[in-house]
Amino acid sequence: MIDALRFEWVRLHTIRSTYWLLASALVLNVATAFLVALLTRHHMLTNVIVGAVVTAGGANPPVPLAAVFVAAIGIFATGHEYAYGTIQPTLTAIPQRSTVLAAKTIVVAVVGAGFAVVSMVVDLAAGVIFWHEVPDLTIEPLAGALPGYLVLTVLWAVLGTQLGQLFRSVAAPLVVVLVIPLVVEQLIFRMSNLPALDWLQPAVKFLPFLAGSQLTSLSGEAAGSDATQFGLFDRWISGSIFAAFIAAVLAAAWLSFNRRDA
Amino acid sequence: MITARALKKRYGDKVAVDDLSFEVRPGVVTGFLGPNGAGKSTTMRLMLDLDHGCGETRFDGRRFATIKHPMREIGAVLQARAFHPTRSARSHLRMLAAGSGIPAARADEMLEFVGLADVKHKQPRGFSLGMAQRLGLAQALLGDPGTLILDEPANGLDPHGIHWLRDVLKSLAAEGRTVFVSSHLLSEMELMADQLVVIGRGKMIYNGAVDGFVREFTQSIILVRSPQIGKLAAALSAVGGLTTEPAGDGTLRVTGADAATVGELAHRADVVLHELATETASLEAAFITATGMSEEYVARRTPTPGGAA
Repeated sequence: MIDALRFEWVRLHTIRSTYWLLASALVLNVATAFLVALLTRHHMLTNVIVGAVVTAGGANPPVPLAAVFVAAIGIFATGHEYAYGTIQPTLTAIPQRSTVLAAKTIVVAVVGAGFAVVSMVVDLAAGVIFWHEVPDLTIEPLAGALPGYLVLTVLWAVLGTQLGQLFRSVAAPLVVVLVIPLVVEQLIFRMSNLPALDWLQPAVKFLPFLAGSQLTSLSGEAAGSDATQFGLFDRWISGSIFAAFIAAVLAAAWLSFNRRDA
Repeated sequence: MITARALKKRYGDKVAVDDLSFEVRPGVVTGFLGPNGAGKSTTMRLMLDLDHGCGETRFDGRRFATIKHPMREIGAVLQARAFHPTRSARSHLRMLAAGSGIPAARADEMLEFVGLADVKHKQPRGFSLGMAQRLGLAQALLGDPGTLILDEPANGLDPHGIHWLRDVLKSLAAEGRTVFVSSHLLSEMELMADQLVVIGRGKMIYNGAVDGFVREFTQSIILVRSPQIGKLAAALSAVGGLTTEPAGDGTLRVTGADAATVGELAHRADVVLHELATETASLEAAFITATGMSEEYVARRTPTPGGAA
């Protein structure tokens, strides 16, 4: 396993896309943090503002944009193997397919976690420029939202890796991680507000990407009014729903990888 | 030593590899021949557990998937351009070395060996097919393996490159390594291989020495020239098993006998000979004879307007 991890680490840091994806994600997060801090500089500094700065938006965006870039690193980790035929040398070096997939998942997840930590530190620094103080990050909702952001980024990284393996391509997984949260889930979410379709409301809390976004929720234990209207679960149960969805994708990817020809 | 037993692979109703069993011995270059679509690449993929099928292949008694660091024992390249276009040749090899417990410095040694040292930091997206093949060979040799499995390694190489490859594979075999190399380039295989595994439509056609393959699938032709060609033809035709065919310019093509027999028959018939020669059959002739009925993809003549075909 150690050799597989070394292989995957060298694989990851010897292609340019890894660097420009991480740099793009960091720039996006810092720009968001800077803007939020700038626009709220005359407001009283609240935990919600601090959380929105440090997590670059909290649970408000329909997709955590930086996490999508991290997911793309995962998609490239597996999808490129098929796009460029490198799965053959990979499997002739490490024929144990479960080991290969595990190594890719672990390395991309660690990179995602590292990115999340660096991003939060840099975002915090951008906020401190306006706040002139370092706020207390150990009180709720920050005490939950900041680790939640770390977990969310790691989950997106793992999701990208598994989707790339499942689809054996780059384009289809990218479409999935954008279209499902931005179109499919938003459509269900909005339509459930129609009286004729209010029977959809109990399903909203199980929408995986929406549930995942609750990991960075800054409005108490869930998402404010949404929590009441849709009965959203709290931060960690919602996160578990997203994690369960990713686990199902992982199981499908692992089965496919082991059963199909390379 | 590679031992393949009862390899079989189906794609739906189509049988791509049909109960293939063979051995590849160390110390010689074993060529893997077959027409396009015969199942050569699929067979190699089955051997390396890249594809799922029936049968098993053992490398010195072990299955590929059970070997801890296979690149140190089996160097395999099945696709010329199996690299990321923006990862340098050096990084590509260092990545594989990292996964196999091979010192990273070995990557530079191999790039030097295959003649790619000058471009080792460049992105391989601009590599010619020949350069890609050289990178593939560097990859195969990275772990200094005792066994090499190469699918069409001569494709895209210029004549100098082919000559170089032939010498490399010959010398690796001479060191006692097991070399199994597929090709449809018969001229190279004739010069390179000592043993052959020939398949058609996934089935075994021949497994043995190159000379034996040529003998088994071709008949020797004797060219004989005489000023008394009519008398000679009558004398030879009187012998059972011999066939003669005029070849023009007072020459006959004789099959079914060797040159000594034809000479003796001519002497007994009191015929003067001006030339008596054996036309050696080529590997290509033998290959065409052996695989003639096994071609997977055959071009058909397109009917022309007006019916004249």
